Amino acid sequence: METAHKRPNYILIWVYLAVLTALELGLAFELPISKNVKLALLLFLAIWKALLVGLYFMHLKFERWNLRILAIVPIPLALILIAAGMSEHIW
Amino acid sequence: MTQAMADAMRPPFPAERGLDVYNKKLGMWIFLASEVMFFGALIGSYVILRFGAAGDWAKPGVVLNIKITAFNTFLLICSSVSMVKAYAAIQDGYPDKLRFWLLMTILGGACFVGIQVFEYIHLVEHGFVPSGVREGSELAEMVAAGSLPAATMGLYGSTFFTMTGFHGFHVTCGVLSMLYLYVTKALPGKYTAQDFAGIEVVGLYWHFVDLVWIILFTIVYLV
Amino acid sequence: MTTVAAASHTAHAHHDDRSFIKKYIFSTDHKIIGIQFLFLSLFFLLVGGFLAMQIRWQLGFPGKPMPGGSLLPETMAPGGVILPEYYIQLVTMHGTFMVFFAIMLLLVGVYANFLIPLKIGAHDMAFPRINMASFWSAFAAGGVMLASMYVPEGAARAGWTMYAPLSAREDLSGAALGQQLWSVSIILFGLSSVLGSLNYITTVINNRAPGMTWFRMPLSIWALFITAILGLLAVPVLAGAAIMLLFEQVLGTHFFDPAAGGQVLLWQHLFWFFGHPEVYILILPAMGIASDLIANGSRKPIFGYHSMVFAICGIAFLGWIVWGHHMFVSGMNPTLGSSFMVSTLLIAVPSAIKVFNWMGTMWRGNLRFHVPMLHGVGFVAMFTIGGLSGIFMAATPVDMFIHDTYFIVAHIHYVLFGGSLFAIFGAIVYWFPKMFGRMMNEGWGKVHFWLTMLFYNMTFFPMHNLGMAGHMRRLYDPNIYDFLKPLQPLNTFISISAFLLFGSQIIFFVNFWWSMFKGKKAPLNPWEDNGLEWTLPSPAPHGNWETPPTVYRGPYEFSVPGMSEDYLPQTKKLPTDREPAMTPAHGH
Repeated sequence: METAHKRPNYILIWVYLAVLTALELGLAFELPISKNVKLALLLFLAIWKALLVGLYFMHLKFERWNLRILAIVPIPLALILIAAGMSEHIW
Repeated sequence: MTQAMADAMRPPFPAERGLDVYNKKLGMWIFLASEVMFFGALIGSYVILRFGAAGDWAKPGVVLNIKITAFNTFLLICSSVSMVKAYAAIQDGYPDKLRFWLLMTILGGACFVGIQVFEYIHLVEHGFVPSGVREGSELAEMVAAGSLPAATMGLYGSTFFTMTGFHGFHVTCGVLSMLYLYVTKALPGKYTAQDFAGIEVVGLYWHFVDLVWIILFTIVYLV
Repeated sequence: MTTVAAASHTAHAHHDDRSFIKKYIFSTDHKIIGIQFLFLSLFFLLVGGFLAMQIRWQLGFPGKPMPGGSLLPETMAPGGVILPEYYIQLVTMHGTFMVFFAIMLLLVGVYANFLIPLKIGAHDMAFPRINMASFWSAFAAGGVMLASMYVPEGAARAGWTMYAPLSAREDLSGAALGQQLWSVSIILFGLSSVLGSLNYITTVINNRAPGMTWFRMPLSIWALFITAILGLLAVPVLAGAAIMLLFEQVLGTHFFDPAAGGQVLLWQHLFWFFGHPEVYILILPAMGIASDLIANGSRKPIFGYHSMVFAICGIAFLGWIVWGHHMFVSGMNPTLGSSFMVSTLLIAVPSAIKVFNWMGTMWRGNLRFHVPMLHGVGFVAMFTIGGLSGIFMAATPVDMFIHDTYFIVAHIHYVLFGGSLFAIFGAIVYWFPKMFGRMMNEGWGKVHFWLTMLFYNMTFFPMHNLGMAGHMRRLYDPNIYDFLKPLQPLNTFISISAFLLFGSQIIFFVNFWWSMFKGKKAPLNPWEDNGLEWTLPSPAPHGNWETPPTVYRGPYEFSVPGMSEDYLPQTKKLPTDREPAMTPAHGH
C-alpha cells in the first residue's frame, strides 16, 4: 500500500522530461566537446529522465523500501555482465 | 490508496503480511525485473560490441533519422504521461476521464509503433539491414565512398535492429494489452476507484517500456 | 484450525464441477500442473537416457554396430555404426534434454508448482492461468526440441553450451534447421521459466497462511523461492543470447562473427552468466528437498536451520559472480579470470556448511531409512564428491589441464545425477501419496536405490580417472590418440555399467506406474511429517483448504520432549501457543 502522499505534478514531470530531451538533442549535435565528455553527459541526462519516470510515474518514490530493492536488484547484475564483457578489451 | 481500495485488491483470504503490495502489482514488478535482465543482455551486448569494435562507429544521424525518432521519443513520453493521468483519473473515481486518457495512451503507443515501422521500411530501402549494409544499396555506396565505416556497419545493423525490434515488440504487446483492457473493462465501466488493478499494472509495464526507450534513444541514436 | 483431525475435516473439496478438459488438460490447479510437468519431465529424462546409451555404445564399443542401430537413418548410423556427425548430436541433445527438460522441469516445474501452495497454506498459485501458460509453453518448447532431431540434416550439434560461431554457421556445423529449432525451443523454454518464476516468487511473498512467517517455512520452499529468483534474473539473459543466436543463424547478424567485428567471447559471457546461476537452479531445490527428507528420516530438527537459509542465499548471491570459471581456457582477460577463481573457491563455504548441517541433523537421530531418506543421504554423499571435484576446477591452473576432459563430465554427473536426480527420486517417492493417493512399493524402492547407487558410481567415478589421463569431452573416438588407447577397457567398463544403470531405472518406472493404479492406498500422513500438506487428504482436493490453516511453529519439530509422538505438525495448536498477530485484511 502506498503511504499517504501528495500526488506528484505529472504535467511538471512531463515538462522536465521534455526539457531534458531537448538538452540531449542539443548536446548530441551542437556542442563541440570531446566525445567522452559528451557521452558522459548524455548518459547522465538519460539516467535522470529514467529516474523521473521510475520514481514518479511508476510511483517508486512512494512505495515501500523493499519494493524499491526489488526494482533495483537486476541493475547491478546487468552492469556486472557488461563490465566483464568490456574488460575483455582492456588487456 | 484508501482502505476500501486496498481491501478490494488483497487476496481473498487472510495471509501473512507479504510485501504489502497486492499480487498483480507485485507480479508485474517481478516480471519487470526479468525484463531488465533481458534488455540488459541485448543492450549490454551492444555496449560490449561497440566498446570492443576495431574501428569507429558510424556518426549519429548519418544512417538513422534523429528528427523523426526524437519526435517519436517525445510521443512515447507523452503517452507515459497520459497513462499516469489515466491512473490518477480512476484513482479519483472518474471512469470517463480514465477512458479518455487510456485511449490517448493507446493512440500514442500505436503511433510510436507506426512511426518505427515506417522508419524500418525507410532504412531497409536505403540498404540498412540486420546484417549491416546491403550490397548495391545507397548506403553501400556511402561505405565505398568512406563516409560510413565499413568495419563496424555489420555490428551496427545487428545491434540496432535487435534492440529496437524487441523494444518495438514490447510496445506492441503493451498497446494490445491496453486495447484489450479498454474494450473489455474500461469502456463498459468496470473500473472503479475501489478496483483498478489492471490499470495500475499495465501502467507500470507501459512506463517501463518508456524507460527502456529513454535509454535506447540516447545510446543508439545520439551517441 | 486446531488438531490435525479437525484440519482434515475442514479440507473437504467444495463442489468441483469442472469438465474433464478443464480439470486435467487445461488445468489451472497447481497440483495438476505439477503432475503434468512430472509426466513431461520423466518422458524427457527417458529421452536423455536413451541418448546417453547411444553415446556409451560408441565409447564402449567404438565402430561396432549398435543394437537397434538399423532403425537410425543411413546418414546418421550406416549399418548401425554411429557416425561422428551423429555422435556430436547425441552429446548435444543429451545435455540439452537433461539440463532443461528433465532436471529443471523435475525440480522446479514439478516441485515448485506442487509444493509451494501446499506447504505455505495457500489455495493455489498467485496467478493460476499464467501457471498453465508456463506448462504449455514448456510443452511446446519440448516438442520443438524433439522435432529438431527429425529434420533432414539432424539436430543441433555444438554441445549443449552451443558456442558460437560453430552454432551460428551452417558451413561450420553442417546443420541449419536443427540449430535454429534449438534456439527457438530455448526461447520458448525461457518464457515458460520466467512465467513460472514470477508465480513462485509472488506466491511465496504474498500468499503464506497466517503464522507461516519466513523462518517457519520449510527449507524446500526457501530453496525453491531463491531458485525462482535466480531463474527470473538469469533465464532472460539466455533468452537474449538465444535470440541473438537465432538472428545470427537466419538474419545474418554479426554478433559472434570476428570477421565482421563480432566477439566470440560475447556468446560465452552471455551463456555462462546465465549458465552458472542455472547450475544453482539445478541443485538448490534438491538441497531443500534433501533437508526435508533427512529431517523426517532422522526424526530431528534440521541442524542449524537459520544457517541453512543463509547458506542458500549465500550460494545464490555468490553464484552471480563465478561464471568465468567455465571460461578459464577461453583466452579471457586473465585478471578477470583470477577474480573468478577467488569467488568460485569462496562458494565452497556455504555448500560445505550445508553438508555439515545435514550430517549434524542425522547425528544421534532416531534414523528411519525409508526410501526417501536413503535418497536424501545418498544425495549428501554424492553431492559431496561432486563438490570436492569442483574445488579442483575452481583453481585455474588445475582447470587448464582438466577443462573439457572427462573430469568435468564426472563432476557434472556427480552433482546432477548423484545430487539432483537422487533428490528427485526421493521427492517423487515422498510426495507420491499426496499426488496420487497411493504409496510406491517400499521394497522395490530400496532395490532401485541400491542398484542405482552401485551402477551410478561404477559409471561415473572412473570418469575422474579418464579425465586425469587427458580423455577429452565430446570425443567420438579416443583411439585416434595413442595416449588414450590404453583407456579403452575403462571406457568399456563404464559403458557396461551405464547400461546396467539405465536398466535399473526400469524398476523405478514400473514401480511408479504400477503404484499409481495399484499401490497401497495412502494414509493422510504416511511419513509422519509436520508440513501443511500432510493435513490434507491424499490426493489433495482442488483449492486445498477452504480457509487457510493457521501455523504455530516451524516444520522441523521432531522428537519434541514431552510429546506423545515424535513429530509435531505445524498446524497443531498446543495450549501454550498464541494465535499469530493477524488481522483479516491483508496487512493494511
